[in-house]
Amino acid sequence: MFKRKWTGIIVGSMLLALTALLGVLKGSVSIDFSALTDTDKNILFYVRVPRVFLSGLVGAALSLSGVLFQYVMKNPLADSFTTGVSASAAMGAVVAIMTGLTGLVPLFAFVAGVIGLFAVYRISTVAGRVQPITMLLAGIVVSTFSSATISFMKYLSDDAVSSIVFWLMGGFQAATFGKDLVLLFALLLVWLLIRREYMALDIICFDDKTARASGVDVDRLRKVSFLVAALLTAFSVGYAGIIAFVGLIVPHVLRLVGFRKADELVPMSMVTGAVFMILNDLVSRTLLPEGQELPVGIITSSLGGGFFLYILVKRKKELHYFA
Amino acid sequence: MLDLRDIVAKRAEFRLSIESLKINRGEMIAIVGNNGSGKSTFLSVLGGLLSYSGIYRINDSEFGELDKKDRHRLISLLPQEGSLSMPFDVFYVVLSGRFPLTDGRCYEEEDYLFTERVMKWLDVWHLRHREFVTLSGGEKQRVLLARALNRDAAILLLDEPLSGIDLRHQYETVEILKQLQRDRIILVVIHDISLALREFDRFLCFKDGRLLYDLSGDEIEAEHIGTVFDIKVNFLKHENGVFIYREE
Repeated sequence: MFKRKWTGIIVGSMLLALTALLGVLKGSVSIDFSALTDTDKNILFYVRVPRVFLSGLVGAALSLSGVLFQYVMKNPLADSFTTGVSASAAMGAVVAIMTGLTGLVPLFAFVAGVIGLFAVYRISTVAGRVQPITMLLAGIVVSTFSSATISFMKYLSDDAVSSIVFWLMGGFQAATFGKDLVLLFALLLVWLLIRREYMALDIICFDDKTARASGVDVDRLRKVSFLVAALLTAFSVGYAGIIAFVGLIVPHVLRLVGFRKADELVPMSMVTGAVFMILNDLVSRTLLPEGQELPVGIITSSLGGGFFLYILVKRKKELHYFA
Repeated sequence: MLDLRDIVAKRAEFRLSIESLKINRGEMIAIVGNNGSGKSTFLSVLGGLLSYSGIYRINDSEFGELDKKDRHRLISLLPQEGSLSMPFDVFYVVLSGRFPLTDGRCYEEEDYLFTERVMKWLDVWHLRHREFVTLSGGEKQRVLLARALNRDAAILLLDEPLSGIDLRHQYETVEILKQLQRDRIILVVIHDISLALREFDRFLCFKDGRLLYDLSGDEIEAEHIGTVFDIKVNFLKHENGVFIYREE
């Protein structure tokens, strides 16, 4: 057990370093590293490096928030997108932009995200348990309302359209070292908080009565996990828009290959999420010729759609266990 | 060791009241009664999962004043129909029963050793690598019982631990409980009255949220059971124990 965890973390970290390096080296502009011009240096340090960091951090944050949502909702299909948190956080972000409070984007995103999350949680709870299918439906409801609100605001004001479209599709164009630092700080804080609760997180996967009888303060742990997961989502959405399904795909694949306990799953999800997102961003920057960029949300959404199909078709039985 | 007076607990529309009850160390007690008569609510109160009014003492200290972690070290409660929503293996499920004995950060070597012993004892060791969710109902129940016993608690509150378990394992489980009985308090909700009459020393009979009878194994008669379950029954006494049957 011990061996698998550390092998995973070491291999994952090596992959992370490799993909990060690749992300810095590759881009729409090809750079000759033997003769760096001033423009090349600017591109590297003001565009690529902060961008690679941001994509890695967002990937880690979304994966971790996905793991936490799955623990708290006892539902393998929960993540920041399916719970409606991403869309409601994006709505909050758009409201902040429209009202000129651009500095408060993460705060607005957080408050709106928590409200959306609370709505989904209340709608989908039957007899103390979040029902997987009801949760997906409630997530659709909340996402639809949020998208409608965003569209309405888009209709009201033409000026901000391009930045609003950015929230809906997701991307790392707006990366700065400042944002990287804030997100890194938030991520570290959440990780330090959560790593003390690994054993308790595994125990809340039992029915509530068994978990309580095991000495876990279920209500407190649930509230804390919900809030920090919403916080991570809010920062991710605030800085990079809606990027769907990362928090669903990454933990699911990790569980499939054997990382199931929180003390393995949480760190592995962060590392793997970062690798996954840096690669996605790299593809989005280099896929189209002539330097055009594909919003990264489009790539993760198509991967996520395919993945959902895979779960529905191949792993129906497993869903049945959890239902 | 357990001392309850004027206990009242409410859950939704349901109200449980117990005027006076004392239980000593070394007793193995059967809790019987109709569905919805208050058996599980009673165990929830004893296990600290449900708030109550009245006096509840363990070893002369007020239960409410005990540290929460100490409560769960002292008492192990097995709820009815436990379920799990993540694909953990059986060994980890049983190991996690020792959570209140840890510092909350990691399980120690001793926890692993004790878990192995308990699992072998309850004949679930061969299931250790299986995913819990793929087990049969009876296997799950035995694994969860092993999980509850793994805490090595002085007070065991077991809500229908024998339901869904095959005959051989039912007998073996009762034997294990009897071995544990000497320095513990064991309360078991049970529906197999014949088995209870043969193996248990004392009966707490619940009806409509009240403790109707508190009887020893020698005192309990067919009329008591009849009153508790609203049916006419009789005892058939045999050298191997007492059997119950319905009188037409």
